[in-house]
Amino acid sequence: MAAARLLKDEATEEKGDRARMASFIGAMAIADLVKTTLGPKGMDKILQSTGRGRNVTVTNDGATILKSLHIDNPAAKVLVDISKVQDDEVGDGTTSVVVLAGELLREAEKLVNQKIHPMTIIAGYRMAAECARNALLLKVKDNKQDPDKFKSDLMKIAMTTLSSKILSQDKEHFAKLAVDAVLRLKGSTNLESIQIIKKAGGSLKDSFLDEGFILDKKIGIGQPKRIENAKILVANTAMDTDKVKIYGARVRVDSMARVAEIEVAEKEKMKQKVQKIIAHGINCFVNRQLIYNFPEELFADAGILAIEHADFDGIERLALVTGGEIASTFDNPESVKLGHCKLIEEIMIGEDRLIHFSGVEMGQACTVVLRGASSHVLDEAERSLHDALCVLSQTVNDSRVLLGGGWPEMTMAKEVDELARKTPGKKSHAIEAFSRSLQAIPTIISDNAGLDSAELISQLRAEHHKDTTNAGIDVISGGVGDMDKLGISESFKVKQAVLLSATEAAEMILRVDEIITCAPRKREDRM
Amino acid sequence: MAAVAPAPAPRGSSSKTESYTDTKRRDDVRQANILAARAVADAVRTSLGPKGMDKMIASANGEVIITNDGATILNKMEVLQPAAKMLVDLSRSQDAAAGDGTTTVVVLAGSLLRGSLSLLSAGVHPTAVSDALHRLALRAVDILHGMAIPLELSDRDALIKSAATSLNSKVVSQYSSLLAPLAVDAVLSVVDPAHPDLVDLRDVKIVKKLGGTVDDTELVKGLVFDKKVSHSAGGPTRVENAKIAVIQFQISPPKTDIEQSIVVSDYTQMDRILREERNYILGMVKKIKATGCNVLLIQKSILRDAVTDLSLHYLAKAKILVIKDVERDEIEFVTKTLNCLPIANIEHFREEKLGFANCVEEVSIGDGKIVKITGIKDMGRTTTVLVRGSNQLVLDEAERSLHDALCVLKPKEFIWTPIYILHGMLRCLVNKKFLIAGGGAPEIEMSRQLGAWAKELQGMESYCIKEFAEALEVIPYTLAENAGLNPIAIVTELRNRHAQGEINTGINVRKGQITNILEENVVQPLLVSTSAITLATECVRMILKIDDIITVR
Repeated sequence: MAAARLLKDEATEEKGDRARMASFIGAMAIADLVKTTLGPKGMDKILQSTGRGRNVTVTNDGATILKSLHIDNPAAKVLVDISKVQDDEVGDGTTSVVVLAGELLREAEKLVNQKIHPMTIIAGYRMAAECARNALLLKVKDNKQDPDKFKSDLMKIAMTTLSSKILSQDKEHFAKLAVDAVLRLKGSTNLESIQIIKKAGGSLKDSFLDEGFILDKKIGIGQPKRIENAKILVANTAMDTDKVKIYGARVRVDSMARVAEIEVAEKEKMKQKVQKIIAHGINCFVNRQLIYNFPEELFADAGILAIEHADFDGIERLALVTGGEIASTFDNPESVKLGHCKLIEEIMIGEDRLIHFSGVEMGQACTVVLRGASSHVLDEAERSLHDALCVLSQTVNDSRVLLGGGWPEMTMAKEVDELARKTPGKKSHAIEAFSRSLQAIPTIISDNAGLDSAELISQLRAEHHKDTTNAGIDVISGGVGDMDKLGISESFKVKQAVLLSATEAAEMILRVDEIITCAPRKREDRM
Repeated sequence: MAAVAPAPAPRGSSSKTESYTDTKRRDDVRQANILAARAVADAVRTSLGPKGMDKMIASANGEVIITNDGATILNKMEVLQPAAKMLVDLSRSQDAAAGDGTTTVVVLAGSLLRGSLSLLSAGVHPTAVSDALHRLALRAVDILHGMAIPLELSDRDALIKSAATSLNSKVVSQYSSLLAPLAVDAVLSVVDPAHPDLVDLRDVKIVKKLGGTVDDTELVKGLVFDKKVSHSAGGPTRVENAKIAVIQFQISPPKTDIEQSIVVSDYTQMDRILREERNYILGMVKKIKATGCNVLLIQKSILRDAVTDLSLHYLAKAKILVIKDVERDEIEFVTKTLNCLPIANIEHFREEKLGFANCVEEVSIGDGKIVKITGIKDMGRTTTVLVRGSNQLVLDEAERSLHDALCVLKPKEFIWTPIYILHGMLRCLVNKKFLIAGGGAPEIEMSRQLGAWAKELQGMESYCIKEFAEALEVIPYTLAENAGLNPIAIVTELRNRHAQGEINTGINVRKGQITNILEENVVQPLLVSTSAITLATECVRMILKIDDIITVR
């Protein structure tokens, strides 16, 4: 190159077709990686950590897989990001969004090879996405008015979400669990008040939903193990002597008796603090820090249940659900908001003793106790349940519901196809490509289930050419089935998010015509 | 159809070609996983059953462990392959769920994997195999329930039989007649009749002491401390009608939380300080004595000495027996047993917080001494087992446990095993009050009934279940093989006997023949069998569903 060098030594630059090719390949590789996890018969992946301990995670959650990958390709990173956003926004569809984006790019690649300008493709994709969205909007059902129907919709959505996860065998159980938990929230999307506790042992079926709150701690010795109408003070305070926090502070005395006096004074201070706390008229005291033997005894004498060393999450949530505030000074009992609950008692789950707060102030609070054979199962179950809870809480707000099992994709594909026929110009190729990408989703679902995808998809297309149809892929029987009867539903919000973010991501990657890799900083061994 | 075909066709074909190469890779991953997991299962296979062999494990730091406990072997193997790791976890789960059958579950999983592999190579889709396994597990559990024998909590004999069966395959099998009743009594004594499901094993304390033989192992109704009474000043070593205080404060010169220094400016002052120290401690001891307390359990303190020579001297003078350095986490157990409250400050030292016992004495056994507290008034629902052993095994275990905290699990094994099983049994007593025959009988019966069931089914499922029904025979096969019998003759005869309706026929390893195993009193809790089959299938299904191993951060 005769021109002056613009970039640093190790920086590289890729231009035009090469750049586009690199990003296409990267994005498609990522999509191919997760595509086998799609659908109820999707497979799992082992994630083997290279870090210390070589931890093993078994998962089929797209977001989890993508989150933990080492990725260098910039386009692949975009896909990982959209799956993360999907996870944060709606909680489910993390795999679908990546797969759809991957398919869109795969189609785009072919069009680019036919010398169609990326901008034309983008314009076509945009029109197609708009049209697809409108097609969905026409078909949505909204059962907000009818609580019974709405609840059954929620159940269906939960079961559909769970059917692709580890919980699929007990999906009815867990769907009910998730729906109950979400309905308690009464419309808020604050999943914080649903606490998930994992306890190894038992089987997944033994998992249960418990109203109230469970704290994985022990009650102090000699204190009541059961309290009714509890008044709870949640605190974050040091229960040892208030020390002078200056390094080198020390007491100088001239006799042993003085030392003893100081010790007594220290004890007295502790006692005063305890008495101040007791003066709040409480019968349960939860502290984030340690409660030492001496205060513990004082509490026991006063008949107060004292729980020490609760984790931070635990007390924040406890304060939230019991309606109290976390206190750290105890001088004005009036200003401290106490928490309340009907009953505190010790329960046993498996081998462990836990403290159970029931009848809490905040009615929506509840706890899901997950049981399972091993930590792998539990972790995966938690991820799955979390997905289901997210989707449900979103659906409670936006109650529009679609059918599942590839039905929405086929419906959209049909509309988009029709649009392609009406649209003159090169754009129509892109629109047609969009329709093909949409059809890829049911194709992959049936491929994963070991079904003859080409046959099924063509049947499905024929079925969808009729005006109203509920046809989708019934993975269990391996044919085309009526999704309404099978009770397979999906949330509109999830589908819409999948459609729009996948299109946007594809568009973004398509626009790229140059990749500049900056010179690596020294000491970074990985490229 | 022809009109619409062009659109999906290119997709279809391109995905076909891709999935062809991809499938190859996935099959490779799956196959590698299955082979690795089976290698693990094969490693422990020979240690199954009462005549199973032991394994010698040489760990990296030069220790040698000899054991035939499946969970222990796998724990020590340090496998790296993820699928093999899952099998290790499997045995751990079985340990947690049922306390026994840790080898069985792994061998079962290995055999099911072998079956899956042949199904996969016949072209069955992994999810179909996985679904069949799920149905199989449900059905198998039903079959097991059908075979089970109901059991009452009060039926001590049946409990003992079951404990003895599980002990038979352990190193300490010769003591099973002694340890089994002991374990049963220990567990029964902590069961609250009102809540039989709330058994907390932490209420059973195990104290190990060298010297004597395993025969000397005993159940103590009361408390045992593996500690000496403090002798320094000739204090009492035996107290009758003891009034016991558990204290969490220290009988030593005062110390403030803030750093302190005493400024001494002349000799007389020093003298005075010494005198004050003495008075201070004497004052404390007097207060203690005033309540009538004559036994003192002192919690270990990290901030300062719990007791000093001086305070021990005064306490001895006051005829108070002192046991020092009681760990903080033991306090709950101790107070529960003694039915007393811990005392955290000398000012709170009142009589109502004391516990009472008929006798507190120091007993010397072997080359050490222990303190026994017996005849406790209103004793809590706890119990203590004093384990003795002079043989190499116990010595080894004890010594090893010093080196490696991980091994703590092991020395307990020979007494914990029956207790664990009983615990598992008691926990599920509320729902499943059942025992089941041992000796391979349940597996053969499951295999037979599932095989018959497979004939009623259709399609892929039938094919898969037939394969897995045969895979279950691995347990009796291995039992016979390990006992030096002819496995094929034994398994076929078992099959035959079961087909004739003798569902409790199993392998009697001791006699080396096939007998009604129930009459031989070889029984185990139903939970061991059900959890083995459900956990093993769950694990196999998980392995089957994996199609890729991804290396991540």
